[in-house]
Amino acid sequence: MTAFILRRLLLLPLVGIGVTLLIFGLLQLVSPQMRASLYVTDPRQLRDIDSIIRERGLDKPVHVQYVRWMGNVLRGDLGWSETAKMPVAKAIATFFPATLELTVFAVIPILGLGIWLGTLSAVHRDRLLDHVSRFFSISGTSMPTFVWGLLLLMLFYGAWQLFPPGRLSLEPSLYVLSPQFRPYTRLVTVDSLLNGQLWIFVDALRHLALPVLTLSLVSCATLVRVTRSSMLETLRQDYVRTARAKGLETPVVINKHARRNAMIPVVTLSALLFVGLLNGVAITETVFGYPGIGLWGVNAALQLDIAAVAGFALFNALLLVGGNLAADVIYAYIDPRIRLR
Amino acid sequence: MMCVRKRTLLVLVIALSLSLGGPAGVATGQAVKNPDTFVSVSFGDWDTLDFAWAYDTSSQQVIFNIYETLIAYDGSRVDRFVPRLATEVPSARNGLISADGRTYTFPIRQGVKFHDGTPLTAEDAAYSLRRFLMVDRDGGPSSLLLEPILGMTKTRDDKGALKLTFADLERAVQVKGNSVVVTLKEPFGPFLSIMALWSSVGSKRWAAANGDWDGTAATMARYNNLKKESSAFFEKANGTGPFKLERWDRAGKQVILARNDGYWREPAKLTRVVLRSVDEAATRILMLKAGDADHIAISRREQPQVEGDPNIRLIDNLPWLRADAFFFTVDIDIRGNPDVGSGRLDGAGVPANFFSDIRVRRGFAYAFDYATFLRDAFRNQGMPPKGVIPPGMLGFNPNQEYFSFSREKAIAELREAWGGQVWERGFRLNILYNAGNVARELGARVLKDGVESLNPRFRVDTRGITWASYLAAMNDGKLPVFWVGWVADYPDPHNFAFHFMHSDGTFPKSQRFKNDEVDRLVMAAIKETRRAEREKLYFQINQKFYELAPSVAPVHQVVFRVQRSWVRGWYNNPVFPGTYFYTVWKGAS
Repeated sequence: MTAFILRRLLLLPLVGIGVTLLIFGLLQLVSPQMRASLYVTDPRQLRDIDSIIRERGLDKPVHVQYVRWMGNVLRGDLGWSETAKMPVAKAIATFFPATLELTVFAVIPILGLGIWLGTLSAVHRDRLLDHVSRFFSISGTSMPTFVWGLLLLMLFYGAWQLFPPGRLSLEPSLYVLSPQFRPYTRLVTVDSLLNGQLWIFVDALRHLALPVLTLSLVSCATLVRVTRSSMLETLRQDYVRTARAKGLETPVVINKHARRNAMIPVVTLSALLFVGLLNGVAITETVFGYPGIGLWGVNAALQLDIAAVAGFALFNALLLVGGNLAADVIYAYIDPRIRLR
Repeated sequence: MMCVRKRTLLVLVIALSLSLGGPAGVATGQAVKNPDTFVSVSFGDWDTLDFAWAYDTSSQQVIFNIYETLIAYDGSRVDRFVPRLATEVPSARNGLISADGRTYTFPIRQGVKFHDGTPLTAEDAAYSLRRFLMVDRDGGPSSLLLEPILGMTKTRDDKGALKLTFADLERAVQVKGNSVVVTLKEPFGPFLSIMALWSSVGSKRWAAANGDWDGTAATMARYNNLKKESSAFFEKANGTGPFKLERWDRAGKQVILARNDGYWREPAKLTRVVLRSVDEAATRILMLKAGDADHIAISRREQPQVEGDPNIRLIDNLPWLRADAFFFTVDIDIRGNPDVGSGRLDGAGVPANFFSDIRVRRGFAYAFDYATFLRDAFRNQGMPPKGVIPPGMLGFNPNQEYFSFSREKAIAELREAWGGQVWERGFRLNILYNAGNVARELGARVLKDGVESLNPRFRVDTRGITWASYLAAMNDGKLPVFWVGWVADYPDPHNFAFHFMHSDGTFPKSQRFKNDEVDRLVMAAIKETRRAEREKLYFQINQKFYELAPSVAPVHQVVFRVQRSWVRGWYNNPVFPGTYFYTVWKGAS
């Protein structure tokens, strides 16, 4: 297992270089003037773009530019984001915790419900439970995220005023911004507990409810379908039939014998799903006015905020690489054939 | 196609949900939510908090509640003033305006403290006026006072060299005892109207301590046309107003103002004001319905969604001195500019001087479907655009010629443009608007559709960007076509004529538009004291606006406001940049 992980880790720098080459190559499609914001951390420097081009070598050969840019990237200097009005690295650090928090809370019902419903659906194939589950998954994936978001918002906030949009209500948000609140992690739920402010924790949960529900409806459906088909495939296997023939009880057969093997594609999907959510759930964040990294990324792209887009892409690529690595490790853990191959 | 489907789906969802959770879902006469805090929710962002730099209503609204001017408008009146940081409004009767009409004396109020606790002095008021004159950033508000006080509309010559001297400032704005004395170059009728909104006072000592201009000749040049973020006033504030800046939370897209309990008048009734930005209009509407917002910005299109709700008050037909137009930049900065394609007239872009040909501008003007725009963006709440001066003002000409949609005329103009090259080769450009502004987004699309329908080689795309970025790109001359509304800085036609038509005005400066005859007419009109003659000059300016088409007014819109019924004490003043929260409170209906 250790050797497998090491092999994977050794590949990381290569993947990283590939990613940076790709992003840098795409950046070459825009003019040096537009790329100047990649090399400043203070907008006052943008006043004289021509000198930035000269000083930072934006008129030099591409390989020279790449080396210089990589130097900046390795130092964590990703340029200035006009959209966020702050350095790109700081913008990522500012907006990512909100998305991380949303993702962590969303992934719990997505995985729990997705796997549970998928398993139930497979076990009760072509019966009422299966039909209900499939209807749920089809409607979940077929409705666009913004439709779910607005529907839920209008019902649970507009009609019943249970779960408001945004990240916090007025009073909690003022308290969180005040000096007496210490932002240890920038995850409001965690920080509110660490600060002993249960009322803020509860308020944060109320605000998370609808984005989490929206993401659950949209993302959970895919997981239900994959789990169901994987379980159906597994339940047809000889060793499952043998387990049944041995007289094992159905829950044991399903949970211990079938589900573990059926989980292999589900784990991959879950890891990618998690990273996908971390990459920014822009539509959900826009509908709910939730200040996450996705909303920032979309706004940056619309404004052709080159430094922000490049930084966002780089950060996402790193997340994806890390997510894939995690998926590979879990995959290998679940299925010994992978690590012994 | 995808876009159309999404939109249709969105409309259906909103209609369905409003039927489930609309007005009936919210109890009438409900208790006032957050009774001491006012929440105003809009879209976009804030450009700066520097009163010498800001020239947009979003930023000005914040400044307006933090800083105070020497005199102010009397409530909703634009023809009467009240003293604010000055103890008296200068007049010939009280002897504070000299017999020749050039010298204005403002006795400064004693006992007023800045938010940091330091006392206000006449030196602070003089410093603030001098700084306002001196900063003079490109496209900024300094010309408002430069023109009457120093008789110049800009502080730099055509090569960008500073022509303003410290001696000019010292001579024009002086401290005499406890008063500030302002000497005008020539008598200027609307001077007090300008001072009522544009004489904000900040602390000289605080500014210097925070790295801004120290008020001396030696450092003056460094702060002329300074970069927005270089100002100490950019994101920090220290005024004397009824509210102080608690936080500009960029990540949370909100500005929080806290009541100034040490205010020299009775403190405001509200303890806090929260100005929030929420991009999604449906979310803003729900926030208003739920009482989490006390006022929201919405477009006419969304108006039906808030009608009929007893908890919401819709105030329509607000008198506002306002004009809207789309402007053509006649010398676009094409360096690294993604909105001009190739930067050449080769079918894949436009050159820097594309709009310098009047036929292109007029072609675009005829290609705009005004009636469709008025219907779709404003639900027909508006009137045809007759010139640059809004209705109700001297110089508005009800018989003024104006552009109307004509495919034939648009084709005729564009066929001739650039010796036929435009028609033959085609072009590609982007029209930008500030994201969240539904009317401008629709306007951009109407213009795109109109222009693209003329010739398959014409390609126009639309793109929404945040307000601050939009203003920056506009000032830098990077937007080929931009769309902006103008709320009067003071109730005088000169404020429109100058900023829409004069080469040193805000928009022509951004457009790089200059016409000597127009400049002469604009300056002649402000100097003319006979009303009838002055009106004639503005009629001529309106006619030039039509003939030269440096910009095109799509509509004279009727303004409305939406707020909770529990909002009390709000009043409209046609030139205010937003809500003056000092008089506002929340009380059960």
